[in-house]
Amino acid sequence: MNNENQQLVNLVGIKKVFYTDDVETHALNDINLSINKGEYLSITGPSGCGKSTLLSLLGLLDTSTSGAYQLAGHDAASLDRDERARIRNKEIGFVFQAFNLISDMSVAENVELPLTYREDISKEKRKEMVSQALEKVDMLHRANHFPSQLSGGQQQRVAVARAISGNPSIILADEPTGNLDSKNAQSVMTLLDQLHEQGATICMVTHDPKSAARAERTIEVFDGKIVADRTTEKAPLIAV
Amino acid sequence: MSLSLDIKYSARLLGKKPAFTALTVCIVAVGLGLTLYAFSLLNGLLFTPLSFADKEPIYAVESMYDHTHLSRRPADTMDLYHLKQDKSLFKDMGFYTEGTTFVGGTGEGLRKFNSTYTSWNLFSFTGVQPVLGRTLSPEDQFEGAEQVLVMGYDMWQSYFNGDPNVIGKVVPIDGSDPARVVGVMPEGFAFPSVAQMWQPLPQSIVEPTERDSSRLFAYAKLAGGVSLKQAQLSLYNTSLELSQTLPEEARGMISADGRYLSIEPFKKANITQYYGMFLALWAVSVLILLLACINVGNLLLARVNERIKEVAIRVALGVPRKRLILQMLLESVFICLLGGFIALLLAGWGLDVTNEIFDETYAVDDLKPFWWVVGLDGESMLVLLGTIVGMVVVTGFIPAKRSLNGDFNAVLRDGTRGALGQKAAKVTKVLVVSEILLSAVVLILATILLVSSHGATNADYGVNTEKRLTAQLQLPPTAYPIRDETEFEHEDRVARSKFYYDLKASLESRDDINGVVFMSQLPGTGGGTSHFEIEGREAPVYNENPYSNNEGVSRDSWYALGMEIVEGRDFDFRDVGEGVNSMIINESIAKEFFPDGDAVGKRVRQVFRNNKRDWNTIVGIVSDTYHGTTMDFSGSPYNVYHVMDNWGMFQVMVAINYEGSQAQAQQGLIDEVNRVNPDVGIFHMQSYDELIEKPILLIAAVSKIFLLCGLVAAFLAASGIYAVAANSIQQRTQEIGVRRALGSTDGKIMKLFMKQASWQLMVGLVVGIGLSVWLLGFMSQTMVFNNLSYWLGMFGMPLMIIAIVLFATYIPTRKVIELEPSDALHHN
Repeated sequence: MNNENQQLVNLVGIKKVFYTDDVETHALNDINLSINKGEYLSITGPSGCGKSTLLSLLGLLDTSTSGAYQLAGHDAASLDRDERARIRNKEIGFVFQAFNLISDMSVAENVELPLTYREDISKEKRKEMVSQALEKVDMLHRANHFPSQLSGGQQQRVAVARAISGNPSIILADEPTGNLDSKNAQSVMTLLDQLHEQGATICMVTHDPKSAARAERTIEVFDGKIVADRTTEKAPLIAV
Repeated sequence: MSLSLDIKYSARLLGKKPAFTALTVCIVAVGLGLTLYAFSLLNGLLFTPLSFADKEPIYAVESMYDHTHLSRRPADTMDLYHLKQDKSLFKDMGFYTEGTTFVGGTGEGLRKFNSTYTSWNLFSFTGVQPVLGRTLSPEDQFEGAEQVLVMGYDMWQSYFNGDPNVIGKVVPIDGSDPARVVGVMPEGFAFPSVAQMWQPLPQSIVEPTERDSSRLFAYAKLAGGVSLKQAQLSLYNTSLELSQTLPEEARGMISADGRYLSIEPFKKANITQYYGMFLALWAVSVLILLLACINVGNLLLARVNERIKEVAIRVALGVPRKRLILQMLLESVFICLLGGFIALLLAGWGLDVTNEIFDETYAVDDLKPFWWVVGLDGESMLVLLGTIVGMVVVTGFIPAKRSLNGDFNAVLRDGTRGALGQKAAKVTKVLVVSEILLSAVVLILATILLVSSHGATNADYGVNTEKRLTAQLQLPPTAYPIRDETEFEHEDRVARSKFYYDLKASLESRDDINGVVFMSQLPGTGGGTSHFEIEGREAPVYNENPYSNNEGVSRDSWYALGMEIVEGRDFDFRDVGEGVNSMIINESIAKEFFPDGDAVGKRVRQVFRNNKRDWNTIVGIVSDTYHGTTMDFSGSPYNVYHVMDNWGMFQVMVAINYEGSQAQAQQGLIDEVNRVNPDVGIFHMQSYDELIEKPILLIAAVSKIFLLCGLVAAFLAASGIYAVAANSIQQRTQEIGVRRALGSTDGKIMKLFMKQASWQLMVGLVVGIGLSVWLLGFMSQTMVFNNLSYWLGMFGMPLMIIAIVLFATYIPTRKVIELEPSDALHHN
């Protein structure tokens, strides 16, 4: 397999500028980054350095001010809103710091939600995919519960199940342990490790060095620029 | 100290958002203003029992209300007399009948007054003392006693110029039978309702020894400890007993369920025909108040959502629960107090306008009940204060509850979580459904009433009203007596009619008069129907027969109204004579019941529950007219006419088609009446258009209030639904962000919200329309709504609400969708 075939994400000269009144804020400046399939990447940096903005661009949740971005062979600049939505749905799985589960939907419904936006999956198939995803995160027994009935760690596991339910090309996790205690944080990180072991591509934003150390490659962002890109030795997997 | 800080803080918050403050104050002012206005109006007209110095409620005792003729009916005097003797039920009772009396000799000195013939105790019953002389005494009722008269203040002022020596003066009554003035009552006293003068009923009538044909109304006070319900039950039972013994000619007063005598609060009995309309007005006002409460509550809720982080910080700093609630309520207190003050001004202005409308409505006939002067009184102020307190609680409670139930830890932690929990989402859904429901009821009722009254004002009554003067004529009874049940009866009736024909000839001989018609009631007025059966096609039960309005009309007169005979012939001398029974029907009857064109020559007769009239032969068919207003239950498109000669009417309406000015025609009428018989009274002179408008002036006025309610409701509904929907969607911005992050397209998000809005619409509209139908059913007992109003109300208004809701969902959803998903996800 050549390098081009393995490349999932390719950012070239990406800039992101926010305009508020007369003030220009350069959140990202000349970002060049590529991520290969199966990679486990962490993006670190201090608060306000632009790491979450970078993740939003990677997840097609926002558009860059300039530069080129290719995701799974798609040129982001040429995509309209609906195409971007479809790519988010098929290629990307999101895990958010605040879980972002929909409170009046059950666990199973939350996990099923991205699948309902696909027209090529039958209802039976959806149910099967939901069960598989929940089983992977060990939450199948809570399928009919509502988010408010779960602990933070459990909610994040459900959020991970939702992210992987459609077999995306890449999982984008934004501070996935930010709202969790250490025990639950450990559990979620282990879950991400396991998913990576199974071949998932993961890109995680974190300011926690321990979490960052779980990834095999770490990007450090400072003042909107990538200041370091290093391959790290993976921290040992701790069973929970 | 802490309270003053909270007050300052609340004032500062309101001052920082002047547009928000102005909007909420405006909504409160409108909602409260309408409620205060409606309460004060109905309190004056209906809710507060009529009473005098002793504060004891006065009741009306009479026959059951006649819904087919929209008129109150007197009861048999014998029955009233027996009721009066029942001291276990009634503390006091008196009888009366009202009419029109001409006072002051002949010609131009003749003046019309509303007269009341009454039991002598009317004045002691009310406890009101005269300003001059005395009131009636028992001796005034004795047979052979001198005719006496107690004057009202207005009559004293207008007829005697306030002469302090008026007592003892003798006034000619109805051109003869002079009466001596014995007393003058104080200004404003017009009991039982519109009296300008009082004369005693003869003792033989008020204390009958046997049943005769006399019928009277009664005023009464209940005995101590007797409730209205008990009295009503007692009268119902009495009615059932009497229904077995009432003479044949009185049995028509018994309703189908055996009811005959009724007792109602005096004010209510006076406006039976408007009762449903006034209650609807009250219901609509209360609904608008609720709508306003929900709107203000929602606006304050939106404010709390904006300030949820500030609230969370206060909670974290240990603010006591009570203090937090107080903080939320303080804003409501500011808004409701300011809105309440404006509402007071608005209601006061509205009541002033209403008094002017009442005066205008009854300017021609002086028939405004004396208590129909509305204003803001102590009770109104209490209601205002009570409503303000209620509004503060309702509008402050929702946001206060939201403040207390938030997940403050989550809010403080990430600034976004807890923006819309399940409970808050449910509250929002309930708010939207409530807005839709209330808007539907208010808009449907307001539209139906408004369109129907507009239709009644502009209806085609089948007559040409241009250059038509109308008036009422009244013959002096002593000059034109009817010797009932003698061989001279018919001759006397024809003699009465002769006056009218002499006047007709005299008027039509003038160059400025084109035509004159006399009718018992002119088209557009009167109304009231009786059932008729067609020979050979009689229904088994009388009320399964069709019904029509019945009028007496002068011969050779249709042209004066622009009406015409379309088949057969007009009335002529062949129709005048004892036992001669002929009739002319209108085109609607002919088309409906004689579609083969064979109406002329057929026989028809009036039928009642307990008797049937003689057969009448149809001699002609006349063009269609409509008697009564199209809004009255008593109105009917079917009309039957009889020649007036055989009736010999004491009072008659006249319509004159004139050339030149109306003033000239009025003078012409006065001149010709004086020439033919100067003792004949002329009153209620007005144009035909004014005549038609008069019966619906009050309805039209109330309809204008409904229009105002409708506009207010539309404004509140549109702004409220938009605000609630926008607030709800805005609170779900983060959820929309999540859905979009997960791959939902814009179209799918929009579809989701539209689907939810559709559900809310369906629930709100189904309940709202159901409630409207129920209320309309209640109102339609006394009012008729036209088809157009139903279409506009039942379909137009829901469609408008659907458009508002979908628009109110589309715009904010569109706005949120236009955000980048990353912005939506981090929306706070």
